[in-house]
Amino acid sequence: MEQAPRLNLSERVVRALGLALLVFGGFFPLVWMLLTSLKTEGELQQFPVQYLPSQPDVANYARVFSEQPFGTFFMNSLIVSLLSTALCVAVAVPAAYALSRLEIRARGLLLTLVVAFSMLPVVSLLVPLFRLMRSAQLLNTYPALILPYAALSLPVAILTLVAFFSAIPRDLESAAMVDGSTRVGAMTRIVLPLSLPGVVTAALLVFVNSWNEFLLALSFNTRLNMRTVSVGVTLYQGEFAFPWPLISAAVVIAVVPIVVLIAVFQKRFVAGLTAGGVKA
Amino acid sequence: MRTEAGNVGTAPAPRSRRRRGGDGLLAALLLAPAALLLCGVLLFPMLTTFRDSLFVNKLTEPWAGTPFVGLGQYAQMVQDPRFLTALRNTLFFGVLTVGGSFLVGIPMALLAHTPSRVRGLARVALLLPWAMPPVITGLIFAWLFNGQYGVVNDVLVRAGIVGEPLRWLSTPGLAVVAMVITIVWKTSSFVALIVLGGLQGIPRELTEAADVDGATRVQTFWRVILPLLAPSLAVAFIFRAISAVQVFDIPYTFIQQAPAQGLLETLGVYIYRTSIEFLDFGYAATLSVALFAVSLAVTLVYVRFVRGGEG
Repeated sequence: MEQAPRLNLSERVVRALGLALLVFGGFFPLVWMLLTSLKTEGELQQFPVQYLPSQPDVANYARVFSEQPFGTFFMNSLIVSLLSTALCVAVAVPAAYALSRLEIRARGLLLTLVVAFSMLPVVSLLVPLFRLMRSAQLLNTYPALILPYAALSLPVAILTLVAFFSAIPRDLESAAMVDGSTRVGAMTRIVLPLSLPGVVTAALLVFVNSWNEFLLALSFNTRLNMRTVSVGVTLYQGEFAFPWPLISAAVVIAVVPIVVLIAVFQKRFVAGLTAGGVKA
Repeated sequence: MRTEAGNVGTAPAPRSRRRRGGDGLLAALLLAPAALLLCGVLLFPMLTTFRDSLFVNKLTEPWAGTPFVGLGQYAQMVQDPRFLTALRNTLFFGVLTVGGSFLVGIPMALLAHTPSRVRGLARVALLLPWAMPPVITGLIFAWLFNGQYGVVNDVLVRAGIVGEPLRWLSTPGLAVVAMVITIVWKTSSFVALIVLGGLQGIPRELTEAADVDGATRVQTFWRVILPLLAPSLAVAFIFRAISAVQVFDIPYTFIQQAPAQGLLETLGVYIYRTSIEFLDFGYAATLSVALFAVSLAVTLVYVRFVRGGEG
Protein backbone atom coordinates (compact mmCIF):
# COMPACT_ATOMS: atom_id res chain seq x y z
CA MET A 1 0.00 0.00 0.00
CA GLU A 2 2.64 2.48 1.05
CA GLN A 3 6.02 2.74 -0.49
CA ALA A 4 9.02 2.82 1.79
CA PRO A 5 10.68 6.23 1.64
CA ARG A 6 14.14 6.33 0.13
CA LEU A 7 16.63 6.10 2.93
CA ASN A 8 20.37 6.20 2.81
CA LEU A 9 22.47 3.65 4.67
CA SER A 10 23.02 5.61 7.89
CA GLU A 11 19.32 6.44 8.08
CA ARG A 12 18.48 2.80 7.67
CA VAL A 13 20.89 1.80 10.42
CA VAL A 14 19.46 4.41 12.80
CA ARG A 15 15.93 3.30 12.03
CA ALA A 16 16.72 -0.39 12.48
CA LEU A 17 18.41 0.33 15.80
CA GLY A 18 15.47 2.46 16.86
CA LEU A 19 12.95 -0.22 15.98
CA ALA A 20 15.02 -2.83 17.82
CA LEU A 21 15.12 -0.59 20.88
CA LEU A 22 11.38 0.06 20.66
CA VAL A 23 10.53 -3.64 20.47
CA PHE A 24 13.03 -4.53 23.19
CA GLY A 25 11.83 -1.75 25.46
CA GLY A 26 8.18 -2.65 25.02
CA PHE A 27 8.59 -6.36 25.60
CA PHE A 28 11.51 -6.68 28.02
CA PRO A 29 9.75 -5.99 31.34
CA LEU A 30 7.14 -8.63 30.60
CA VAL A 31 9.68 -11.11 29.22
CA TRP A 32 11.70 -10.62 32.39
CA MET A 33 8.65 -11.50 34.50
CA LEU A 34 8.15 -14.60 32.38
CA LEU A 35 11.78 -15.66 32.92
CA THR A 36 11.57 -14.87 36.64
CA SER A 37 8.41 -16.93 37.00
CA LEU A 38 10.27 -20.01 35.75
CA LYS A 39 13.10 -19.72 38.26
CA THR A 40 13.33 -21.00 41.80
CA GLU A 41 13.70 -18.68 44.76
CA GLY A 42 17.31 -19.86 45.21
CA GLU A 43 18.17 -19.28 41.57
CA LEU A 44 16.88 -15.76 41.92
CA GLN A 45 19.15 -14.87 44.81
CA GLN A 46 22.27 -14.86 42.73
CA PHE A 47 24.32 -11.93 41.67
CA PRO A 48 25.50 -11.49 38.91
CA VAL A 49 22.04 -12.38 37.67
CA GLN A 50 21.58 -15.67 35.89
CA TYR A 51 19.49 -14.64 32.90
CA LEU A 52 17.90 -17.91 31.82
CA PRO A 53 16.39 -20.37 34.27
CA SER A 54 18.67 -23.42 34.44
CA GLN A 55 15.73 -25.77 34.78
CA PRO A 56 12.51 -24.00 33.78
CA ASP A 57 10.04 -24.78 36.51
CA VAL A 58 6.30 -24.22 36.21
CA ALA A 59 5.69 -25.02 39.89
CA ASN A 60 5.24 -21.30 40.59
CA TYR A 61 2.17 -21.28 38.36
CA ALA A 62 0.59 -24.07 40.39
CA ARG A 63 1.45 -22.21 43.60
CA VAL A 64 -0.27 -19.04 42.31
CA PHE A 65 -3.54 -20.96 42.34
CA SER A 66 -2.94 -22.94 45.52
CA GLU A 67 -1.78 -20.05 47.75
CA GLN A 68 -4.57 -17.67 46.76
CA PRO A 69 -7.89 -18.30 45.01
CA PHE A 70 -6.43 -16.80 41.84
CA GLY A 71 -8.88 -18.67 39.60
CA THR A 72 -11.68 -16.86 41.43
CA PHE A 73 -9.87 -13.52 41.05
CA PHE A 74 -9.53 -14.19 37.35
CA MET A 75 -13.21 -15.04 36.93
CA ASN A 76 -14.19 -11.96 38.94
CA SER A 77 -12.08 -9.74 36.69
CA LEU A 78 -13.54 -11.38 33.61
CA ILE A 79 -17.14 -10.97 34.79
CA VAL A 80 -16.66 -7.40 35.99
CA SER A 81 -14.77 -6.30 32.87
CA LEU A 82 -17.16 -7.92 30.40
CA LEU A 83 -20.26 -6.56 32.11
CA SER A 84 -18.76 -3.07 32.50
CA THR A 85 -17.92 -3.14 28.82
CA ALA A 86 -21.40 -4.27 27.85
CA LEU A 87 -23.07 -1.63 30.03
CA CYS A 88 -20.75 1.15 28.92
CA VAL A 89 -21.08 0.40 25.21
CA ALA A 90 -24.85 -0.01 25.44
CA VAL A 91 -25.10 3.45 26.98
CA ALA A 92 -22.37 5.10 24.89
CA VAL A 93 -23.63 4.07 21.43
CA PRO A 94 -26.98 5.91 21.57
CA ALA A 95 -25.36 8.93 23.26
CA ALA A 96 -22.59 9.14 20.67
CA TYR A 97 -25.10 8.70 17.87
CA ALA A 98 -27.16 11.60 19.19
CA LEU A 99 -24.08 13.80 19.65
CA SER A 100 -22.72 13.16 16.18
CA ARG A 101 -25.88 12.80 14.10
CA LEU A 102 -28.80 14.73 15.55
CA GLU A 103 -29.35 18.47 15.58
CA ILE A 104 -28.69 19.42 19.17
CA ARG A 105 -28.19 23.06 20.02
CA ALA A 106 -26.08 22.37 23.11
CA ARG A 107 -23.85 19.90 21.28
CA GLY A 108 -20.62 21.79 21.95
CA LEU A 109 -21.45 22.20 25.62
CA LEU A 110 -22.37 18.52 25.99
CA LEU A 111 -19.12 17.39 24.38
CA THR A 112 -17.18 19.72 26.67
CA LEU A 113 -18.97 18.18 29.66
CA VAL A 114 -18.05 14.70 28.45
CA VAL A 115 -14.40 15.73 28.26
CA ALA A 116 -14.62 17.27 31.73
CA PHE A 117 -16.01 14.00 33.13
CA SER A 118 -13.11 12.10 31.59
CA MET A 119 -10.73 14.18 33.69
CA LEU A 120 -12.19 13.54 37.16
CA PRO A 121 -9.60 12.04 39.51
CA VAL A 122 -10.80 8.62 40.68
CA VAL A 123 -9.06 8.91 44.04
CA SER A 124 -11.13 12.02 44.82
CA LEU A 125 -14.31 10.03 44.29
CA LEU A 126 -13.15 7.15 46.45
CA VAL A 127 -14.83 8.08 49.74
CA PRO A 128 -18.15 9.37 48.37
CA LEU A 129 -18.41 6.38 46.03
CA PHE A 130 -17.59 4.06 48.90
CA ARG A 131 -20.42 5.53 50.97
CA LEU A 132 -22.79 5.40 47.99
CA MET A 133 -22.01 1.72 47.46
CA ARG A 134 -22.29 1.01 51.17
CA SER A 135 -25.68 2.66 51.50
CA ALA A 136 -26.86 0.79 48.41
CA GLN A 137 -25.49 -2.38 50.06
CA LEU A 138 -23.39 -3.10 46.99
CA LEU A 139 -19.97 -3.48 48.65
CA ASN A 140 -18.45 -6.88 47.82
CA THR A 141 -20.73 -7.36 44.84
CA TYR A 142 -20.00 -7.10 41.12
CA PRO A 143 -22.15 -3.96 40.58
CA ALA A 144 -19.92 -2.09 43.08
CA LEU A 145 -17.23 -2.19 40.39
CA ILE A 146 -19.31 -2.50 37.22
CA LEU A 147 -21.20 0.78 37.76
CA PRO A 148 -18.14 2.97 38.40
CA TYR A 149 -16.08 1.24 35.70
CA ALA A 150 -18.80 1.78 33.11
CA ALA A 151 -19.20 5.41 34.19
CA LEU A 152 -15.46 6.13 34.29
CA SER A 153 -14.91 4.73 30.79
CA LEU A 154 -18.08 6.27 29.38
CA PRO A 155 -16.51 9.61 28.34
CA VAL A 156 -13.71 7.83 26.48
CA ALA A 157 -16.19 5.47 24.81
CA ILE A 158 -18.46 8.35 23.76
CA LEU A 159 -15.60 10.45 22.37
CA THR A 160 -14.19 7.50 20.43
CA LEU A 161 -17.59 6.61 19.02
CA VAL A 162 -18.37 10.22 18.09
CA ALA A 163 -15.14 10.26 16.09
CA PHE A 164 -16.12 7.05 14.28
CA PHE A 165 -19.76 8.05 13.68
CA SER A 166 -18.72 11.42 12.31
CA ALA A 167 -16.59 9.71 9.68
CA ILE A 168 -19.63 7.97 8.17
CA PRO A 169 -21.11 10.03 5.31
CA ARG A 170 -24.47 11.56 6.20
CA ASP A 171 -25.71 11.00 2.66
CA LEU A 172 -26.06 7.30 3.36
CA GLU A 173 -28.70 7.93 6.01
CA SER A 174 -30.40 10.68 4.07
CA ALA A 175 -30.74 8.30 1.14
CA ALA A 176 -32.28 5.64 3.36
CA MET A 177 -34.68 8.16 4.87
CA VAL A 178 -35.74 9.45 1.46
CA ASP A 179 -36.47 5.84 0.58
CA GLY A 180 -38.95 5.76 3.45
CA SER A 181 -36.79 4.51 6.29
CA THR A 182 -37.23 6.20 9.67
CA ARG A 183 -34.50 7.92 11.65
CA VAL A 184 -34.28 4.93 14.01
CA GLY A 185 -34.38 2.54 11.09
CA ALA A 186 -31.53 4.38 9.36
CA MET A 187 -29.59 4.34 12.59
CA THR A 188 -29.91 0.63 13.26
CA ARG A 189 -29.69 -0.59 9.67
CA ILE A 190 -27.18 1.82 8.08
CA VAL A 191 -25.08 3.63 10.67
CA LEU A 192 -24.59 0.95 13.31
CA PRO A 193 -23.35 -1.79 10.98
CA LEU A 194 -20.90 0.65 9.39
CA SER A 195 -19.65 1.80 12.76
CA LEU A 196 -19.08 -1.71 14.08
CA PRO A 197 -15.28 -1.26 13.99
CA GLY A 198 -15.71 1.84 16.15
CA VAL A 199 -17.93 -0.07 18.58
CA VAL A 200 -15.33 -2.85 18.82
CA THR A 201 -12.61 -0.26 19.45
CA ALA A 202 -14.60 1.47 22.18
CA ALA A 203 -15.37 -1.90 23.78
CA LEU A 204 -11.68 -2.83 23.79
CA LEU A 205 -10.73 0.44 25.49
CA VAL A 206 -13.38 -0.05 28.17
CA PHE A 207 -12.35 -3.67 28.74
CA VAL A 208 -8.68 -2.75 29.21
CA ASN A 209 -9.57 0.10 31.60
CA SER A 210 -11.80 -2.19 33.65
CA TRP A 211 -9.34 -5.09 33.72
CA ASN A 212 -6.57 -2.77 34.91
CA GLU A 213 -8.44 -0.78 37.55
CA PHE A 214 -6.91 -1.12 41.00
CA LEU A 215 -7.99 1.54 43.49
CA LEU A 216 -11.75 0.94 43.56
CA ALA A 217 -11.29 -2.83 43.39
CA LEU A 218 -8.90 -2.61 46.34
CA SER A 219 -11.31 -0.53 48.42
CA PHE A 220 -14.82 -1.74 47.55
CA ASN A 221 -14.49 -5.51 47.24
CA THR A 222 -12.45 -6.51 50.25
CA ARG A 223 -13.74 -10.08 50.67
CA LEU A 224 -11.14 -12.50 49.34
CA ASN A 225 -13.54 -14.27 46.98
CA MET A 226 -14.59 -10.92 45.45
CA ARG A 227 -11.06 -9.72 44.64
CA THR A 228 -9.98 -9.01 41.06
CA VAL A 229 -6.60 -9.91 39.51
CA SER A 230 -5.10 -6.41 39.71
CA VAL A 231 -5.50 -6.57 43.48
CA GLY A 232 -4.82 -10.32 43.55
CA VAL A 233 -1.25 -9.97 42.28
CA THR A 234 -0.40 -7.78 45.28
CA LEU A 235 -1.60 -10.39 47.79
CA TYR A 236 1.43 -12.66 47.49
CA GLN A 237 3.78 -10.26 49.20
CA GLY A 238 4.23 -10.66 52.92
CA GLU A 239 5.04 -7.92 55.41
CA PHE A 240 8.74 -7.98 54.50
CA ALA A 241 9.03 -10.78 51.98
CA PHE A 242 8.55 -10.53 48.25
CA PRO A 243 8.41 -14.02 46.72
CA TRP A 244 9.28 -12.72 43.25
CA PRO A 245 8.96 -15.98 41.29
CA LEU A 246 5.44 -16.36 42.63
CA ILE A 247 4.52 -12.70 42.09
CA SER A 248 5.96 -12.91 38.55
CA ALA A 249 3.87 -15.94 37.72
CA ALA A 250 0.74 -14.16 38.99
CA VAL A 251 1.63 -11.09 36.93
CA VAL A 252 2.09 -13.17 33.80
CA ILE A 253 -1.31 -14.82 34.23
CA ALA A 254 -2.95 -11.49 35.02
CA VAL A 255 -1.81 -9.84 31.79
CA VAL A 256 -2.57 -12.74 29.43
CA PRO A 257 -5.96 -11.33 28.36
CA ILE A 258 -4.45 -7.88 27.79
CA VAL A 259 -1.56 -9.20 25.72
CA VAL A 260 -3.87 -11.40 23.63
CA LEU A 261 -6.25 -8.49 22.94
CA ILE A 262 -3.37 -6.18 22.01
CA ALA A 263 -1.81 -8.74 19.69
CA VAL A 264 -5.10 -9.56 17.94
CA PHE A 265 -6.60 -6.06 17.80
CA GLN A 266 -3.49 -3.85 17.52
CA LYS A 267 -4.90 -1.93 14.58
CA ARG A 268 -8.20 -1.24 16.32
CA PHE A 269 -6.40 -0.01 19.45
CA VAL A 270 -4.23 2.35 17.44
CA ALA A 271 -7.31 3.58 15.56
CA GLY A 272 -9.22 4.18 18.78
CA LEU A 273 -6.42 5.95 20.58
CA THR A 274 -5.53 8.16 17.66
CA ALA A 275 -9.17 8.97 16.87
CA GLY A 276 -10.30 10.56 20.10
CA GLY A 277 -7.55 11.44 22.45
CA VAL A 278 -7.98 9.03 25.28
CA LYS A 279 -7.00 9.28 28.88
CA ALA A 280 -3.53 7.91 29.54
CA MET B 1 -43.94 13.02 18.87
CA ARG B 2 -43.15 9.35 18.62
CA THR B 3 -40.48 8.36 16.18
CA GLU B 4 -40.74 4.61 16.26
CA ALA B 5 -41.07 2.88 12.93
CA GLY B 6 -44.77 2.04 13.33
CA ASN B 7 -45.98 5.58 13.90
CA VAL B 8 -44.32 7.52 11.19
CA GLY B 9 -46.56 6.53 8.30
CA THR B 10 -49.66 7.75 10.12
CA ALA B 11 -48.34 11.26 10.79
CA PRO B 12 -47.77 13.08 7.52
CA ALA B 13 -46.45 16.27 9.16
CA PRO B 14 -44.28 18.60 7.08
CA ARG B 15 -40.91 16.89 6.76
CA SER B 16 -38.70 19.60 8.24
CA ARG B 17 -40.89 20.19 11.30
CA ARG B 18 -41.29 16.49 11.90
CA ARG B 19 -37.57 15.95 11.81
CA ARG B 20 -36.66 18.77 14.11
CA GLY B 21 -39.34 17.93 16.67
CA GLY B 22 -38.33 14.28 16.50
CA ASP B 23 -34.66 15.08 16.90
CA GLY B 24 -35.15 16.89 20.22
CA LEU B 25 -37.06 14.08 21.86
CA LEU B 26 -35.00 11.35 20.27
CA ALA B 27 -31.78 13.07 21.35
CA ALA B 28 -33.04 13.33 24.92
CA LEU B 29 -33.98 9.65 24.92
CA LEU B 30 -30.63 8.58 23.50
CA LEU B 31 -28.62 10.76 25.88
CA ALA B 32 -30.61 9.96 29.03
CA PRO B 33 -28.90 6.67 30.01
CA ALA B 34 -25.43 8.22 29.64
CA ALA B 35 -26.47 11.30 31.62
CA LEU B 36 -27.96 9.10 34.33
CA LEU B 37 -24.80 7.01 34.68
CA LEU B 38 -22.45 10.01 34.65
CA CYS B 39 -24.53 12.03 37.12
CA GLY B 40 -25.27 9.12 39.46
CA VAL B 41 -21.79 7.65 39.67
CA LEU B 42 -19.48 10.62 38.99
CA LEU B 43 -21.25 13.97 39.43
CA PHE B 44 -23.19 13.13 42.60
CA PRO B 45 -20.12 11.77 44.46
CA MET B 46 -18.15 14.80 43.30
CA LEU B 47 -20.74 17.18 44.75
CA THR B 48 -20.75 15.14 47.96
CA THR B 49 -17.01 15.71 48.21
CA PHE B 50 -17.54 19.47 48.25
CA ARG B 51 -20.06 19.16 51.07
CA ASP B 52 -17.90 16.70 53.03
CA SER B 53 -14.93 19.06 52.87
CA LEU B 54 -16.81 21.49 55.14
CA PHE B 55 -17.39 18.95 57.93
CA VAL B 56 -14.96 17.22 60.27
CA ASN B 57 -15.51 13.48 59.93
CA LYS B 58 -12.90 11.24 61.50
CA LEU B 59 -13.85 7.62 61.88
CA THR B 60 -11.05 7.27 64.39
CA GLU B 61 -12.75 9.81 66.69
CA PRO B 62 -16.44 8.89 66.49
CA TRP B 63 -17.20 10.73 69.76
CA ALA B 64 -16.39 14.05 68.08
CA GLY B 65 -19.33 13.71 65.72
CA THR B 66 -19.31 15.54 62.39
CA PRO B 67 -19.28 19.26 63.24
CA PHE B 68 -19.51 21.89 60.51
CA VAL B 69 -16.21 23.77 60.27
CA GLY B 70 -16.71 25.72 57.05
CA LEU B 71 -13.38 26.38 55.43
CA GLY B 72 -11.51 25.27 58.55
CA GLN B 73 -10.03 22.19 56.90
CA TYR B 74 -8.88 24.28 53.95
CA ALA B 75 -6.98 26.52 56.38
CA GLN B 76 -5.51 23.37 57.92
CA MET B 77 -4.55 22.09 54.47
CA VAL B 78 -2.53 25.09 53.32
CA GLN B 79 -0.45 24.78 56.50
CA ASP B 80 -0.11 21.00 56.38
CA PRO B 81 3.56 20.22 55.58
CA ARG B 82 2.65 16.75 54.36
CA PHE B 83 0.14 18.21 51.88
CA LEU B 84 2.66 20.78 50.67
CA THR B 85 5.28 18.06 50.23
CA ALA B 86 2.84 15.83 48.36
CA LEU B 87 1.82 18.73 46.14
CA ARG B 88 5.47 19.56 45.43
CA ASN B 89 6.26 15.90 44.71
CA THR B 90 3.29 15.68 42.36
CA LEU B 91 4.32 18.75 40.39
CA PHE B 92 7.98 17.66 40.38
CA PHE B 93 7.11 14.18 39.06
CA GLY B 94 4.64 15.77 36.68
CA VAL B 95 7.25 17.96 35.02
CA LEU B 96 9.82 15.14 34.78
CA THR B 97 7.45 12.40 33.59
CA VAL B 98 5.46 14.51 31.14
CA GLY B 99 8.68 15.88 29.65
CA GLY B 100 10.23 12.41 29.60
CA SER B 101 7.21 10.84 27.93
CA PHE B 102 7.47 13.39 25.08
CA LEU B 103 11.22 12.86 24.66
CA VAL B 104 10.65 9.11 24.32
CA GLY B 105 7.18 9.13 22.76
CA ILE B 106 7.84 11.33 19.71
CA PRO B 107 10.71 9.18 18.34
CA MET B 108 8.56 6.09 19.06
CA ALA B 109 5.76 7.54 16.96
CA LEU B 110 8.14 8.35 14.09
CA LEU B 111 9.47 4.78 14.18
CA ALA B 112 6.02 3.25 14.28
CA HIS B 113 4.87 5.50 11.43
CA THR B 114 7.45 4.55 8.82
CA PRO B 115 6.48 1.34 7.04
CA SER B 116 8.66 -1.63 7.89
CA ARG B 117 8.57 -5.40 7.96
CA VAL B 118 8.22 -5.47 11.73
CA ARG B 119 5.42 -2.90 11.82
CA GLY B 120 2.91 -5.19 13.55
CA LEU B 121 5.46 -6.19 16.17
CA ALA B 122 6.45 -2.54 16.66
CA ARG B 123 2.80 -1.63 17.17
CA VAL B 124 2.35 -4.33 19.83
CA ALA B 125 5.54 -3.14 21.55
CA LEU B 126 4.13 0.37 21.43
CA LEU B 127 0.76 -0.62 22.89
CA LEU B 128 1.95 -2.95 25.64
CA PRO B 129 3.14 -0.32 28.13
CA TRP B 130 -0.06 1.66 27.64
CA ALA B 131 -2.30 -1.38 28.12
CA MET B 132 -0.48 -2.89 31.09
CA PRO B 133 -2.25 -2.45 34.44
CA PRO B 134 -0.44 0.40 36.24
CA VAL B 135 -0.20 -1.53 39.49
CA ILE B 136 1.44 -4.42 37.64
CA THR B 137 3.82 -2.01 35.91
CA GLY B 138 4.76 -0.79 39.39
CA LEU B 139 5.42 -4.36 40.56
CA ILE B 140 7.47 -5.26 37.49
CA PHE B 141 9.69 -2.20 37.76
CA ALA B 142 10.11 -2.60 41.50
CA TRP B 143 11.57 -6.02 40.63
CA LEU B 144 13.74 -4.65 37.80
CA PHE B 145 15.10 -2.04 40.25
CA ASN B 146 15.48 -4.53 43.11
CA GLY B 147 18.37 -3.45 45.34
CA GLN B 148 20.06 -6.85 45.51
CA TYR B 149 19.15 -9.01 42.55
CA GLY B 150 17.61 -6.49 40.16
CA VAL B 151 18.50 -6.74 36.49
CA VAL B 152 19.17 -2.98 36.32
CA ASN B 153 21.89 -3.38 38.94
CA ASP B 154 23.24 -6.41 37.11
CA VAL B 155 23.64 -4.48 33.87
CA LEU B 156 25.23 -1.51 35.65
CA VAL B 157 27.69 -3.71 37.54
CA ARG B 158 28.59 -5.82 34.50
CA ALA B 159 29.15 -2.64 32.46
CA GLY B 160 31.42 -1.36 35.20
CA ILE B 161 29.34 1.76 35.74
CA VAL B 162 28.84 1.05 39.44
CA GLY B 163 30.96 -1.09 41.75
CA GLU B 164 28.16 -2.80 43.62
CA PRO B 165 24.37 -3.00 43.44
CA LEU B 166 22.53 0.25 44.16
CA ARG B 167 19.70 0.29 46.69
CA TRP B 168 17.32 1.91 44.23
CA LEU B 169 14.11 1.90 46.19
CA SER B 170 15.49 2.75 49.61
CA THR B 171 17.78 5.61 48.57
CA PRO B 172 15.64 8.74 48.23
CA GLY B 173 17.26 10.22 45.12
CA LEU B 174 17.48 6.86 43.34
CA ALA B 175 13.89 5.96 44.24
CA VAL B 176 12.78 9.14 42.47
CA VAL B 177 14.83 8.24 39.39
CA ALA B 178 13.39 4.71 39.36
CA MET B 179 9.83 5.98 39.64
CA VAL B 180 10.29 8.58 36.92
CA ILE B 181 11.69 5.92 34.56
CA THR B 182 8.76 3.62 35.36
CA ILE B 183 6.15 6.29 34.70
CA VAL B 184 7.90 7.42 31.52
CA TRP B 185 7.97 3.81 30.26
CA LYS B 186 4.27 3.46 31.01
CA THR B 187 3.13 6.78 29.50
CA SER B 188 5.38 7.35 26.46
CA SER B 189 3.14 4.97 24.52
CA PHE B 190 0.22 7.27 25.00
CA VAL B 191 2.12 10.28 23.65
CA ALA B 192 3.39 8.13 20.77
CA LEU B 193 -0.14 7.01 19.86
CA ILE B 194 -1.56 10.53 19.82
CA VAL B 195 1.41 11.75 17.77
CA LEU B 196 1.00 8.76 15.46
CA GLY B 197 -2.57 9.91 14.85
CA GLY B 198 -1.22 13.35 13.96
CA LEU B 199 1.39 11.89 11.63
CA GLN B 200 -1.24 9.84 9.82
CA GLY B 201 -3.15 13.06 9.15
CA ILE B 202 -0.23 14.77 7.40
CA PRO B 203 -0.57 14.48 3.62
CA ARG B 204 2.36 12.64 2.03
CA GLU B 205 2.66 15.31 -0.66
CA LEU B 206 3.85 17.86 1.89
CA THR B 207 6.85 15.85 3.05
CA GLU B 208 7.54 14.73 -0.50
CA ALA B 209 7.49 18.34 -1.70
CA ALA B 210 10.03 19.24 0.98
CA ASP B 211 12.07 16.25 -0.11
CA VAL B 212 12.01 17.40 -3.74
CA ASP B 213 13.03 20.90 -2.67
CA GLY B 214 16.17 19.38 -1.24
CA ALA B 215 15.38 19.55 2.46
CA THR B 216 17.13 17.02 4.65
CA ARG B 217 15.04 14.68 6.69
CA VAL B 218 15.90 16.57 9.86
CA GLN B 219 14.93 19.89 8.25
CA THR B 220 11.67 18.40 7.03
CA PHE B 221 10.93 17.20 10.56
CA TRP B 222 11.55 20.57 12.22
CA ARG B 223 10.09 22.85 9.54
CA VAL B 224 7.21 20.81 8.11
CA ILE B 225 6.20 17.90 10.33
CA LEU B 226 6.56 19.40 13.81
CA PRO B 227 4.42 22.51 13.14
CA LEU B 228 1.70 20.30 11.66
CA LEU B 229 1.87 18.07 14.73
CA ALA B 230 1.25 21.00 17.11
CA PRO B 231 -2.44 20.19 17.71
CA SER B 232 -1.70 16.51 18.47
CA LEU B 233 1.15 17.48 20.76
CA ALA B 234 -1.11 19.89 22.62
CA VAL B 235 -3.80 17.23 23.11
CA ALA B 236 -1.21 14.71 24.28
CA PHE B 237 0.27 17.29 26.63
CA ILE B 238 -3.03 18.13 28.32
CA PHE B 239 -4.04 14.49 28.82
CA ARG B 240 -0.58 13.64 30.13
CA ALA B 241 -0.65 16.62 32.48
CA ILE B 242 -4.01 15.48 33.87
CA SER B 243 -2.87 11.90 34.40
CA ALA B 244 0.38 13.12 35.97
CA VAL B 245 -1.48 15.22 38.52
CA GLN B 246 -3.67 12.25 39.45
CA VAL B 247 -0.94 9.57 39.47
CA PHE B 248 -1.63 6.93 42.10
CA ASP B 249 -1.04 3.26 41.28
CA ILE B 250 2.69 3.33 40.50
CA PRO B 251 3.75 5.48 43.50
CA TYR B 252 1.46 3.31 45.65
CA THR B 253 3.23 0.08 44.62
CA PHE B 254 6.67 1.66 45.00
CA ILE B 255 5.87 2.85 48.49
CA GLN B 256 4.79 -0.70 49.41
CA GLN B 257 8.33 -1.79 48.51
CA ALA B 258 10.09 1.04 50.35
CA PRO B 259 7.78 2.22 53.10
CA ALA B 260 9.86 5.14 54.36
CA GLN B 261 9.74 7.14 51.16
CA GLY B 262 8.07 10.46 51.86
CA LEU B 263 9.64 11.61 48.60
CA LEU B 264 7.38 9.32 46.58
CA GLU B 265 4.12 10.43 48.16
CA THR B 266 1.96 12.16 45.56
CA LEU B 267 -1.29 14.01 46.17
CA GLY B 268 -3.24 10.92 45.03
CA VAL B 269 -1.42 8.68 47.51
CA TYR B 270 -1.89 11.20 50.35
CA ILE B 271 -5.64 11.37 49.66
CA TYR B 272 -5.82 7.57 49.63
CA ARG B 273 -3.97 7.29 52.94
CA THR B 274 -5.98 10.07 54.56
CA SER B 275 -9.23 8.35 53.64
CA ILE B 276 -8.47 4.62 53.89
CA GLU B 277 -5.58 4.46 56.38
CA PHE B 278 -6.25 7.44 58.67
CA LEU B 279 -10.04 7.24 58.10
CA ASP B 280 -10.25 11.03 58.08
CA PHE B 281 -13.06 11.42 55.55
CA GLY B 282 -13.57 15.16 56.08
CA TYR B 283 -9.96 16.13 55.47
CA ALA B 284 -9.67 13.63 52.59
CA ALA B 285 -12.58 15.45 50.95
CA THR B 286 -10.76 18.77 51.40
CA LEU B 287 -7.63 17.35 49.80
CA SER B 288 -9.79 15.91 47.01
CA VAL B 289 -11.23 19.34 46.26
CA ALA B 290 -7.65 20.61 45.93
CA LEU B 291 -6.96 17.83 43.42
CA PHE B 292 -10.20 18.67 41.55
CA ALA B 293 -9.04 22.27 41.38
CA VAL B 294 -5.69 21.37 39.85
CA SER B 295 -7.36 18.96 37.39
CA LEU B 296 -10.01 21.52 36.51
CA ALA B 297 -7.38 24.16 35.79
CA VAL B 298 -5.71 21.84 33.27
CA THR B 299 -9.09 20.83 31.80
CA LEU B 300 -10.05 24.46 31.24
CA VAL B 301 -6.84 25.04 29.32
CA TYR B 302 -7.77 22.02 27.18
CA VAL B 303 -11.33 23.18 26.55
CA ARG B 304 -10.12 26.67 25.63
CA PHE B 305 -7.61 25.12 23.30
CA VAL B 306 -10.14 22.81 21.60
CA ARG B 307 -12.71 25.60 21.29
CA GLY B 308 -10.03 27.89 19.88
CA GLY B 309 -9.12 25.24 17.34
CA GLU B 310 -12.74 24.83 16.19
CA GLY B 311 -13.49 28.54 15.96
